[in-house]
Amino acid sequence: MKKIDPGLKKILQDFSKSYRAKRRIVLEGYDFEDLRTALAELKDRSLDQNAELLDRFADRARAHGGIVLRARDGGEANDMILEICRDHGVRTMVKSKSMVSEETGLNGFLSGHGIEARETDLGEWIVQLAAERPTHMVLPAIHLTRRDVAALFAAKFGRPVPDDIPALVRLARGEIRKEVFAAQAGLTGANSLIAENGAIMLVTNEGNGRLVTSIPPVHIVLASIEKVLPTVVDALTLLRLLPRNATGQTITSYVSFIAGPHRGPQYVILLDNHRSEMLADPRFREALRCVKCSACLNVCPVYQIVGGEEYSHIYMGGIGTLFTAWIHGLKAAKDLAKVCLRCHRCEDYCATKIPIADLITALAGRIRDKGGAPLWKRFAFDGVMASPRLQRTAFKAARSARKIISKKDGFSRKLPVWMKKYDRFRALPAPAAAVFSKLFKAEFGARRAAAKPAKGTVTIFGGCLVEHFYPEIGLAAGRVLSKLGYEVRIAPGMCCGFPPSNAGFEKAAGEAFAALVKKIKIAGPLITVCPTCTTMLAKRGAEIAGSEKAKDLAARVVPFSRFVAENEMDSLARLLTKERPALSATYHDSCHHKNLLKAERASRMLVEAATRSGIREMDEPDACCGFAGTFSLDNPEISAELLADKLGAIERTGADVVAMDCPGCLLQIRGGYRRKGPAVRSAHTAELLDEAME
Amino acid sequence: MNSLIERFIEKAQLAGAEVEQFSTIQDAADFLKTFFRENKIETGLISSGLKAAGPFAEAFPQFEKRPAPESLWIEAGLVAADHGVAETGTLVHFDLGDDEKNVWTLPEICLCLLEKAKIVPDLEAIAPRIAGHLSRTGLPSPQVSLVTGPSRTADIECQLTIGVHGPSRLIILLI
Repeated sequence: MKKIDPGLKKILQDFSKSYRAKRRIVLEGYDFEDLRTALAELKDRSLDQNAELLDRFADRARAHGGIVLRARDGGEANDMILEICRDHGVRTMVKSKSMVSEETGLNGFLSGHGIEARETDLGEWIVQLAAERPTHMVLPAIHLTRRDVAALFAAKFGRPVPDDIPALVRLARGEIRKEVFAAQAGLTGANSLIAENGAIMLVTNEGNGRLVTSIPPVHIVLASIEKVLPTVVDALTLLRLLPRNATGQTITSYVSFIAGPHRGPQYVILLDNHRSEMLADPRFREALRCVKCSACLNVCPVYQIVGGEEYSHIYMGGIGTLFTAWIHGLKAAKDLAKVCLRCHRCEDYCATKIPIADLITALAGRIRDKGGAPLWKRFAFDGVMASPRLQRTAFKAARSARKIISKKDGFSRKLPVWMKKYDRFRALPAPAAAVFSKLFKAEFGARRAAAKPAKGTVTIFGGCLVEHFYPEIGLAAGRVLSKLGYEVRIAPGMCCGFPPSNAGFEKAAGEAFAALVKKIKIAGPLITVCPTCTTMLAKRGAEIAGSEKAKDLAARVVPFSRFVAENEMDSLARLLTKERPALSATYHDSCHHKNLLKAERASRMLVEAATRSGIREMDEPDACCGFAGTFSLDNPEISAELLADKLGAIERTGADVVAMDCPGCLLQIRGGYRRKGPAVRSAHTAELLDEAME
Repeated sequence: MNSLIERFIEKAQLAGAEVEQFSTIQDAADFLKTFFRENKIETGLISSGLKAAGPFAEAFPQFEKRPAPESLWIEAGLVAADHGVAETGTLVHFDLGDDEKNVWTLPEICLCLLEKAKIVPDLEAIAPRIAGHLSRTGLPSPQVSLVTGPSRTADIECQLTIGVHGPSRLIILLI
C-alpha cells in the first residue's frame, strides 16, 4: 500500500502545473515533435553504434590524459572508486548530482570504508543532511518546506536559522563551499559523453558541477554507457531539448564541456550494469533513449499523488520501473509495475518518444511469465477471459445473481468488510438485466426491416462494459447512427482481449482476440464506444494476431465520436431537436481517448452541439479518473485519490452534466458520486447526442 | 546584426543577467571603477587574458588571477567571454584548465566583457569551434563553458533563488 501525504501531493500537483506552463513558453516557436524526433533518432543511432562510440570516446579521453575504466556492474564501479580514493588519499569526496551513483549505492559503500561522500546539489545536500531519500529526479527535496529545512539546519549547525529561503540558500552556500574546498576528490555524472573528442557534457543550474570538477584535485566521472553521443553537434541537439523539457528553461545556467584532467588526475568510469542486455533486447532497448529529463514524472498523475520515494526503487516513475527491472531485477520492479496507470500521458511529453506505458505492459508480461502474477489475475485472465465460453458463463452467473448482489438503483450492494477497500470510494455497478446484444436485436431488428438505410452499413462494437453493464451506451450510439441514416449492425458481445493484455497475459489476450476475430462479421466501419477496446482492436490486437483478418478489422475501427464529428456534423445540425434544453456540460478526457486516439476535439464538438453550450472546462480535464482497469484493484488508495480530485474538478465547473467517451471512466465517476453524493450527472457522449436528436 | 544584439540582450535579461552597453573598453573600465566604489568592492579575481593587458589590468591592480585555496568569499570576478549566443542569452568561454572557470564561478558578482561582434545566433554557429577546442590535446585540458544568467536553484519549495553556488549577479558589459 502506497503512503499518500496530502501536503506533498499539493506541492507536486502545483509544481506540475507551473512546469507545464513554463515548458509551453520555452517551446514557443519550436516544433516539439521535430525536436524530439531528431533527438530520438540520434539516440537510436548512437545506441546502434554504442560499442564503437564508447571505444572512440575512451581513446580520445585517454589522449587528453584521462584514465578510462569499464565497470560491468555497480559493485565493480564502487570497488574502482574505492581504489582510486585509496590511491589518492581521499577521505572526503564531493559529488555533483549523479543518479548513477545512487544506482550503485556509492555513498553507503564508501561510508562503510571510512570515506565520506557529500552531495553538493542543494536539494541532494538537504536530503542527505536529513538522512532521507530524494523525492524527484530534478528537485530531490521538493517534499520539504522552508520550515522543515530551517529546522534541519538549526539542528545540524546548532544555531537559530530563519525560515527565509534566500537566507537558507546563503547558509547552504557557505557550508557546501567549505566542504568542496576541503574535499580531495570530486565526482560527477555526465549528461553526455562525446565520442569525437572524449569530452563530457555537464548540465547544471546551481554551478556545483563547476566547483566539483575544478576545486578538488581528483575528478571522477561515473557515467552509464548509453550516454555516449557521436559529436559536439549531437550534444547540442540534446542540449536544445533537455532543459526545455526538464525544467521549462531555454538553457540551464551552466553547461560545461570538459575534455581531460585539470590539475590532478581524471578518471572516467563507464558503467554497464545490465544495460548491454537491455540494448540487446529489441523491445526494451527503447528505454535506453531516456535522457533523464523527468518530464514523464512531472506529468504523471500517480507520481503527483505518491511522490518519488514511494514510486521508486532508485529510479522513479514508469521509466524508473523499466530501469529497475533491468538493473535491480524483476523482483524489485514487480510492485512498481502495477502502479503505472498506463494512461500514456507521459508519452506526449517524453523527449525521446519512449512508449513507456507499452513497455510497462511488456514488463508485466515478463513478470507474469516468471510466475510473478497474483493468483486472482491468473484465474481471471488465463482462466476465464481466455475462453469466450467461460466468459459468457461468468457474466451469466453474475446476471442471475443480480437480485441478490444489486440494489434497485443499478449499483451492487457493498462488498464484505474484507473487500471494503475496493468499493469504499466508489460503488460498483450491478450487471444489467439484459445484455446489449440482446437489447439491440430487440430494438433494431424491427427498425432495420422498416426503414431502408441511405448511407450504408456500420457495425458497432460494444465491449464488455457496454455488453454487461451499460447497454444504454451502445443503444444510444445505435440510435444516433440510425437517425443519421445508417444501417446499424453489431459485433458479437465478446471481450477484445485488452484486460488480459494490459495485465501482461499476452497468451490469454491472443486467445480472446482470436476468438473474436473468428466470429466477427463486419459490415462497413467498426464503430467503437470504448477507447480502450478501440486501442486493442486498432493496434495491439493486430500486433498479437498478425492475421489478415485482424489487420482488416484494425483498418476499419473508428471511435464513435470521431466518426460522427468527421462525417456527420451537417446532418447532425439538422437532426438536433430545437426544443432540446440547453445544458451546461463539462468534458472528462479519458486517457486512451485523448492520449492514444487523439479524439478529444471531436467529442467536445459533439457535446457542445448536443447541449447547446460551450464546454465548461474543468481543471486538468485529462487527469486520469483512477479507474484504469485492474489498476483500481491493485491500488485502491491511489484510485480513490485520483477520483476525489476528478469529482472536485467536475463540481467546481458548476456544470449540469459531465460527458466522457469511456464506459470505464463512467463506472468510476458514477460510482464515486454514488458514494459521495450529491451527483453531477455523468453520461457518454453518445447518450447526450441521442437525447438531443429528433 | 542589431536584431541579433537585441535578442541577446533580451534573452540574457530574461535569464536574470544585467546588461550594460559601452562604446569603448575604457568606458567599461570607468563604469567598473564607479561600480566598485559604490558597492565597496576592493578585491576580486581577474581572468589572465584581462590581467595581461588593457585598461582593466591598470584599473584593478589589486585583482588576482588565481583564487587562494582557502578563499571562500570573493567579492567580484572580471572575465571576458569568447562569444555570446542570441538564442538563449548565453556567454561562451573557451578555457584551458580551471583557473578561468573559477574566476567565473567563485565570486559573488561576475562581470563579463563581451564584444558585440562576437554574438552569434545559436550554439550550432560555433559548434565547429567548440569541437575544435575540445580536440586540443596537452595539459592543461580544454574546456568550454556556457553561462546563462546567475547561479540559480529552485530546490526549496520550487522557489527560484539566485546565487546558490556561483555568482548571484552576472553583469554583462557589452562593448
